Amino acid sequence: MANSKKYWQGFEDLVDSPLAKKFQQNEFAEDIPSDEFLGNNEALGNSQTTRRDFLKYLGFSTAAATLAACETPIVESIPYVVKPDSITPGVPTFYASTFFDGYDYAPVLVKTREGRPIKLEPNNLATFNKGTNARVQASVLSLYDSERLREPLVDGAETTWKDALAKVKSALDGAAGKEVIFMTATVISPSTKKIIAELKEKYPNLTHVTYDAVSVSQKLDIYQNLLGERAMPRYRLDKAELVVSFAADFLGDWNGQDVAAEYAAARKPGKNMLRHVQLESVMSLTGSNADKRIKLKPSEYGAALVYLTSKVASGTGHASAFEVGSLNDQLKPQLDEIAKELVAKGGKSLVLVGGNDIHLERFAAAMNMMLGNESAAVDYTDRVYLRQGNDKEVEAALKNMAAGNVGVVMTSGINPAYTLHGYAEAVSKVGTTVSLTDRLDESASLSNIVLPTSHFLESWGGFHPKRKTYTLAQPTINPLFNTIQVEDILLSLTGNTLSYKDYLKEFYQTMVEPKAPENTWNIALQNGVVEKEETDLDYFITEAEIFSIPDLKQRIIEALVDSSTALAKQKAGSYEIVFYQKIGIGSGNMANNPWLQELPDPVSRISWDNYLTISAADAVALGFEMSNDTNGGLNGNYANITVGGVKLEKVPVFVQPGQAIGTVGIAVGYGRTACGKAANNLGVNAYTLISGLEHWNTDVTIENIGGKHEYASIQLGHTMMGRKIVNEVTLADYMNVDPHDWNHHHEFATYKGKLSANETNIWDDLDHETLHMWNMSIDLNSCTGCGACVVSCHLENNVPVVGKEEVRNHRDMHWLRIDRYYSSDMSKAEAAKQGYSGVGLIGKGATDMYAEMEIPSESPDVVFQPVMCQHCNHAPCETVCPVAATSHSREGLNHMAYNRCIGTRYCANNCPYKVRRFNWFNYMGNSKFKDVNPAQDDYGRMVLNPDVNVRSRGVMEKCSMCIQRIQYAKLEAKKKGKKIEDGSFTTACAQACSTGAITFGDVNNKKSEVSALKEDERAYHLLEEVGTQPSVFYQTKVRNRA
Amino acid sequence: MPLNFKFATLISVTTHLRFMLRIQFKRFFTFLILVLALGFHTSALAFEGDAANGKKLFKANCAACHKLDKKLIGPALGDMTERRSAEWLVAWIRDNGALRASGDADAQAVFDEYNGMPMTAFPALSDQDIYDILQYSIEGDAPAVPQGGTPTPTGEPVATTPDYVLPMLFVLGAVFVLLLILLIKMKNTLRVVQGKDAESIGDEISAFRKGLVANKFLMTIGTLAVGIFVLYFAYWWLMGIGVEKDYQPVQPIAFSHKVHAGQNKIDCNYCHSSARHSKTSGIPSTNVCMNCHKYVDGSEIVDESGQLKYGGDRSPEIAKIYAAIGWDVDKLAYIEGYEQKAVQWVRVHNLPDLVYFNHAQHVTAGGVDCETCHGPVSEMDVLKQYSDLTMGWCVECHRETEVNTDNGYYDGYHENIKEKYHTDKITVDKIGGLECGKCHY
Repeated sequence: MANSKKYWQGFEDLVDSPLAKKFQQNEFAEDIPSDEFLGNNEALGNSQTTRRDFLKYLGFSTAAATLAACETPIVESIPYVVKPDSITPGVPTFYASTFFDGYDYAPVLVKTREGRPIKLEPNNLATFNKGTNARVQASVLSLYDSERLREPLVDGAETTWKDALAKVKSALDGAAGKEVIFMTATVISPSTKKIIAELKEKYPNLTHVTYDAVSVSQKLDIYQNLLGERAMPRYRLDKAELVVSFAADFLGDWNGQDVAAEYAAARKPGKNMLRHVQLESVMSLTGSNADKRIKLKPSEYGAALVYLTSKVASGTGHASAFEVGSLNDQLKPQLDEIAKELVAKGGKSLVLVGGNDIHLERFAAAMNMMLGNESAAVDYTDRVYLRQGNDKEVEAALKNMAAGNVGVVMTSGINPAYTLHGYAEAVSKVGTTVSLTDRLDESASLSNIVLPTSHFLESWGGFHPKRKTYTLAQPTINPLFNTIQVEDILLSLTGNTLSYKDYLKEFYQTMVEPKAPENTWNIALQNGVVEKEETDLDYFITEAEIFSIPDLKQRIIEALVDSSTALAKQKAGSYEIVFYQKIGIGSGNMANNPWLQELPDPVSRISWDNYLTISAADAVALGFEMSNDTNGGLNGNYANITVGGVKLEKVPVFVQPGQAIGTVGIAVGYGRTACGKAANNLGVNAYTLISGLEHWNTDVTIENIGGKHEYASIQLGHTMMGRKIVNEVTLADYMNVDPHDWNHHHEFATYKGKLSANETNIWDDLDHETLHMWNMSIDLNSCTGCGACVVSCHLENNVPVVGKEEVRNHRDMHWLRIDRYYSSDMSKAEAAKQGYSGVGLIGKGATDMYAEMEIPSESPDVVFQPVMCQHCNHAPCETVCPVAATSHSREGLNHMAYNRCIGTRYCANNCPYKVRRFNWFNYMGNSKFKDVNPAQDDYGRMVLNPDVNVRSRGVMEKCSMCIQRIQYAKLEAKKKGKKIEDGSFTTACAQACSTGAITFGDVNNKKSEVSALKEDERAYHLLEEVGTQPSVFYQTKVRNRA
Repeated sequence: MPLNFKFATLISVTTHLRFMLRIQFKRFFTFLILVLALGFHTSALAFEGDAANGKKLFKANCAACHKLDKKLIGPALGDMTERRSAEWLVAWIRDNGALRASGDADAQAVFDEYNGMPMTAFPALSDQDIYDILQYSIEGDAPAVPQGGTPTPTGEPVATTPDYVLPMLFVLGAVFVLLLILLIKMKNTLRVVQGKDAESIGDEISAFRKGLVANKFLMTIGTLAVGIFVLYFAYWWLMGIGVEKDYQPVQPIAFSHKVHAGQNKIDCNYCHSSARHSKTSGIPSTNVCMNCHKYVDGSEIVDESGQLKYGGDRSPEIAKIYAAIGWDVDKLAYIEGYEQKAVQWVRVHNLPDLVYFNHAQHVTAGGVDCETCHGPVSEMDVLKQYSDLTMGWCVECHRETEVNTDNGYYDGYHENIKEKYHTDKITVDKIGGLECGKCHY
């Protein structure tokens, strides 16, 4: 019997396929080309090197290399000739400045070391837009981008500034009789506007056109008409208790105003917690944070908004006869409920609208007026100037250009050949084109004269982002290349011999200082921000004008009937598309920044790419499939999409839970061709589909062309499978139910009775009481998933960028990641209800339940969870390291000694949180990563933090809780002979977080914020039952729903 | 160190002699002038001053701009009492502006000669103070009194080998060889007598070797001994790789710490000013050198034989500083638009990138003396690495050094530690000074 037993190696054996036969005969499926080098006697015989010689050389070179390694290299130490007073080598110097690139605005502190800016931090003196988002954090790397232009170009050839400026002047002089167009992104600097006005005086035929690549021009038109200036009201989410948002991605990229801090402040769990209702098509970052999210098609926005307005109007005693377009019957009861909630909240609510549509904005503004929100969450006096683009001006300019009426086009800080439909064609009819740009981008390569402009860290600036705020920017480094900042170029064109610095100083002293006399020029420069918080009409630049709210209200409501007629005419398409901006790349102006490319989209968790998001139902209908390679790498199909007659080919398709059925979404900012080696040829350019600066379009056809697109996705599991990873509770339960029920701490049954995981463990307890004990609290209720912390961590800790392929291989190096989980329709309770009690093949059982738990819901709740090294006090990684490269400190930190690590990776395998990162390659030196890793060229290397080691191949690394900052703070305290004050320093992630989700401190200091948070009833440890006793703990997420 | 010591003694002795001679001559000369002057200008010696106090005051108040024998920012002052009356000098020194304002022609002339650069007024100096300074200007520098008595140039006692030892050894060796030959001859003779064949020395040796090889015990012990010997030396040789103790590179400027820190007693922190504030001690920038070397150009340096080392010219080494920063030695001013070149020093103490070391932590917070790690720098003409700079060396110190408990930062922590570990001796390792992450991140 024993002899007749046959073992088969695989299913191929059983079916007796030709492949199996081949396997039986050959050990290797493919021939190993050994004949090529061994079988070729002729080649071997002719070789000059015999095998013995080879061994001799090998031995000799090994010995030589060994001996050479013993020799000390001579290291030079070169001091300054004359040391600047402000610099002490090894000690950072901070300068206040302002980031503004026409898209993002942030008052910042610039950290410089030995004269090099290496990090941006939020300026805590500012109260408006005080956070730094991912792009602002990453912008310091753009300074060291080696793709920046280094010399002015005339007709493609390098020339001197004198020559280039002379050419520009003669072109401007020669354009008399024709129009001159100066096209810029939004300008919020009053002094820059003054220079442009002076330029206009000199060249009366000059027109200044403001063009925002992502435009909100139609909204601005309303407020310009109402308020007399191109500005948006300031939205104060901290004064609202209910926000209803129609496709407004206000936590992502909306109108330049960063409301995340106020949003988080208003959402502190409690009686008056802000409730957030989002109605949208794509799963935006904002929508994923909502308490209630309703899926809508773009064509339904109008009808839904008008319907809601009519309900609110009747609820608040206003005329409510509007024409309501066709509306899904399921939506109406939901909208009724929202209307009821809005009316109940009265003046403590806020209605926001996304997109670029005058009619939608009119209804939102009217609803806010009807509810009386102008006294709280909508501030018409302290209005915001961060978006000023004017579509009509842009349209007129393009028309004039195409008609050949324009002599000179000068662009500054924009890239219309890439972003603006029809620009490339129109500009070919223009005599001379001048680009003021930092790189030879798509537009600059079409220009006759290219003037390289300085980075914001090399420039002066004075900004007026909102009515009661004025901020200054100052250079922190001399221009790296032969560049001049835009204002200085313009000044020289006007014939002014003043430098912009002097011009700005004079402007400040005549226009701003008289209004805020305590802020002299030097004090203002030191603080960076001049703010007026008084409620009276006290402005810096603009004159006070009188307007009355009742008058505004009447004028808004008057126009509603016409708008409702316009909205009712909107036709639904079979498919509708939404153009959105990713949290990292934004409008795409900083696309060549590898940190931003590597930052995964918080919702889709895909980096280095854009794609068409589609709902699961539509994917099935159109035959799109997602698949995984054997290593887990995620694949998708391609589609050809046609929007309004414009076709975009080979767009990867991604199935997105929460996407409204019948809609697709695509991010702009990708598909660059002339941006730089990191950005070129990534994704597709969605701007080509936008013909009228709109944010959505209802005329879409989608064609499945199959194929396989390889995504760089860093998260493949999407649900929590019923575990307590992100603990979540409804506000009602949080307020009324015993915390033990919604924040259950795991207990083990022992002979001593029931004990918590902390009390039952096999490790010895370390002494954490005598000195510091650093802990970190992460409030999952405040975290919006924006990713600023991830980029900040990259900067601070010299985390390498690994590129698309390695991210796909799950070798991303993020020390800090933000996990995103979707809710599933299946849960243990649901399974019990449906009777999933079967075993094996009979009836549905536990395996079926778990299989269904893996599938995200069609309309899921979304949670974000930042996960870094948890600094376990009983760390599983420490016990398995064979060389003791990772060990524990008395201060509650898990240390990692890179030079001791031999790369066994046992620690990563034993880490329950999967936060350890292995250097598979020498990312800083391997030519494979030349295009993506900024530290590979001499400029990009300047951004490295000199206080943190640059790790090499074969070494494990992980979050150190910014130990360099801890050590620095301790030393500063010792130098002063004082105790460390709570809040005097924090980690890079906590500092970048504008919502204050991350709190870091010493729990042995009983007065510290973090020690109070540790005792909070919402606090819990991740995977508590493992017994690792982490130094990081989380605060339960509270959803504001019953 | 003995070599350095001898060298230093030699210099100080020769300097001493040379100064003695010069001063004697100068005194005589001054006396002569005084005698002559008495006849013509009775007011010239209308003061009595204490040259020692004058020297102190001169160094404190005047030396930044004046020298006795040489024009600096202001005129040379060695002969000022010959040129001007004491009253005039007192008036000028106390408030030259007022003197000019009073219409004094001489005062105005001096002012104009030096391009209208006003001299600082010294209203705080008393008449006697000024007389002391004037006295000092007449007497000049007294010879430095060598401390600790007059050193005699005694050499280190050298243990020499007596002359007869070596020949004796040869003789003994020859006797031994002779005895050996005699022994073999004798043995062979005995063998011949017994009727056996005689054996050569070679045969004897090979027989001995065979016996040795056959003895397994001896072979094992021998192999083990050789093996351990080789391993021992290989281990220490390998452990020494990268340890650059005594590394003493040639620097671009022959800068001597012995002259600066040793003889002139300049505080380490004066030049390495960031050591108290920063992780790096900081190589002084060239402008710091110029704080002194504007005035000290090396022309006074004397060599071992007591001669001016550069024949009264400026030192070519100090000239390298001038070349770096662009100092015009004749005009005593920085050259405008000069393209400055940094001095490319060779770094002596090289820690690998994998370790974070902070000077401020040790100097300011820890109160560690520079010499603890850097050794007797004030005795080094050319700086060298004194310590191992290995991790074992760091750790050893962290185990032994007690923490400065007076620092307010530690309030409470020390009580905690004392209570927890029942010890009064709080060393660096007790507050976590041996944890990996404290230095490696």
